[in-house]
Amino acid sequence: MALDAVFRDQWGRVLATLVGILGDIELAEDAAAEAFAVAAERWPGDGEPANPTGWLVTTARNRAIDDLRRRRILAGKTKLLIRDIETGPRPQGAVMDEATVIQDERLELIFTCCHPALALDVQVALTLRTLGGLSTDEIALAFLVPFETMSKRLTRAKHKIRDAGIPFAVPPDHRLPDRLAAVLAVVYLIFNQGWGGGRVDLAAEAIHLGRALAGLMPDEPEVLALLALMLLHDARKAARLRDGRIVPLDDQDRSLWDTRQIDEGRALLRRAMARERSGPYLVQGAIADLHLQEPRDWRQIAALYQTLARQTGSPIVEMNRAVAVAEIDGPQAGLAVLDGLDLGHYRYFHSTRAELLRRAGRDAEAHHAYRRALDLAQTEPEQRFLADRLAETAPSPKPGERRRRAAGP
Amino acid sequence: MQYALLAYNPSEDTDRASRPISGALAGMLDRPDVTGWARLHAAGSATTVRNDEGRMLLTDGPFVDSKEYLAGLILIEADDLDGALATAAELLGTTRPGTAIEVRPILDGRFRGA
Repeated sequence: MALDAVFRDQWGRVLATLVGILGDIELAEDAAAEAFAVAAERWPGDGEPANPTGWLVTTARNRAIDDLRRRRILAGKTKLLIRDIETGPRPQGAVMDEATVIQDERLELIFTCCHPALALDVQVALTLRTLGGLSTDEIALAFLVPFETMSKRLTRAKHKIRDAGIPFAVPPDHRLPDRLAAVLAVVYLIFNQGWGGGRVDLAAEAIHLGRALAGLMPDEPEVLALLALMLLHDARKAARLRDGRIVPLDDQDRSLWDTRQIDEGRALLRRAMARERSGPYLVQGAIADLHLQEPRDWRQIAALYQTLARQTGSPIVEMNRAVAVAEIDGPQAGLAVLDGLDLGHYRYFHSTRAELLRRAGRDAEAHHAYRRALDLAQTEPEQRFLADRLAETAPSPKPGERRRRAAGP
Repeated sequence: MQYALLAYNPSEDTDRASRPISGALAGMLDRPDVTGWARLHAAGSATTVRNDEGRMLLTDGPFVDSKEYLAGLILIEADDLDGALATAAELLGTTRPGTAIEVRPILDGRFRGA
């Protein structure tokens, strides 16, 4: 494995273990960064150690202790911390060696980072930094904020975790369902950010996190279902863009779909369903699977959206159901579902509505709705697609001109 | 009579935890008429809890709204923030609708037992 890939793979595990030892994310991060720098210097010459995680943790831990000793002037709390490390139940002094089995504490870390006392955007950024191993630069770029803003946001979060006593632990059973839902929401938010944007490959990051979670919680159906859902969506990645434009699913070149990923997603869905506990990600995964089949079973899709709407109460789910209803009973029926929704701020509401209006032959209204969608569109592929549709539905003095204008210059 | 003196600082104070209390202030805090004091972590460490028809809503940050007034101060002991938030939620079950509780970790303090 290339060194970069090893580092990427190791970062979350090493950092989590160090947070467990040092009790502070900021200290752990500094120590981990130092250890990775030493590894980058030595491994190419000396070869990769047999137990890279153990090597990195040991190196980082020793550096952290040296560093803390140098900074003894710090508050009494820190001295306590050093005593804890030196006399605690862990192996004495610096003899913790590469053979030491490193317990995987990434679950503890992700529950800390996705704690509801942290704002959602903070949870997302922190998860990408600590478990995803993305640099502050990359995260700032992904969310289109200046480096300083992201850096401050991350620092504040780490301080809050330390000062407010946000626990580094897997929540007890009575809190687990809510807390797990929060973790999954963060991962899925990262995935969706990547899906629409495509700046830093956030979709790949989210899948990476999803895989880690599925490995750590193999018995949680919603964890497996979320990974399945992401894999099934992501499998269509290569077919989603053509000439820099979004391609609707029906027009996609199916030979570009990643069949291996689809198979993996479906296998995960089967595993999740075998647990006989349903949740919103399982339903969404099943819907994503149905969308990949040809012909699409719109009645089953509509029924699952209804189930999902009941589970989540989300108007966006209702919006998606409207699309299925339009396929079954015609665009007017779909528009009737959309009419009851308060989604004026949501860009896909306008593009969905525009599409149904267009199919219903109500071009003038469709044109207006495409205009609204275009005003709200956030990525260039979306904008180009919508601009085309806008031109197609533009009122034209002579019907013959429409086609030419739609084709563009 | 007993009084609560509430101290407000001008802006987010990032270096608060590592800066000791000044000698003059420490002297005052030791006086017998001071029955207890708590120095709080900066506002960035705060979490605000509200009761929204039985559902506890958490906000990352201090309480900010000018309509409400500061009604009381409760000091608790908890293992971690989850414990403190659970107690806050319990309290909100007994308070008037619209009440919010800001949960702020204590940096340092002295309390006279009851």
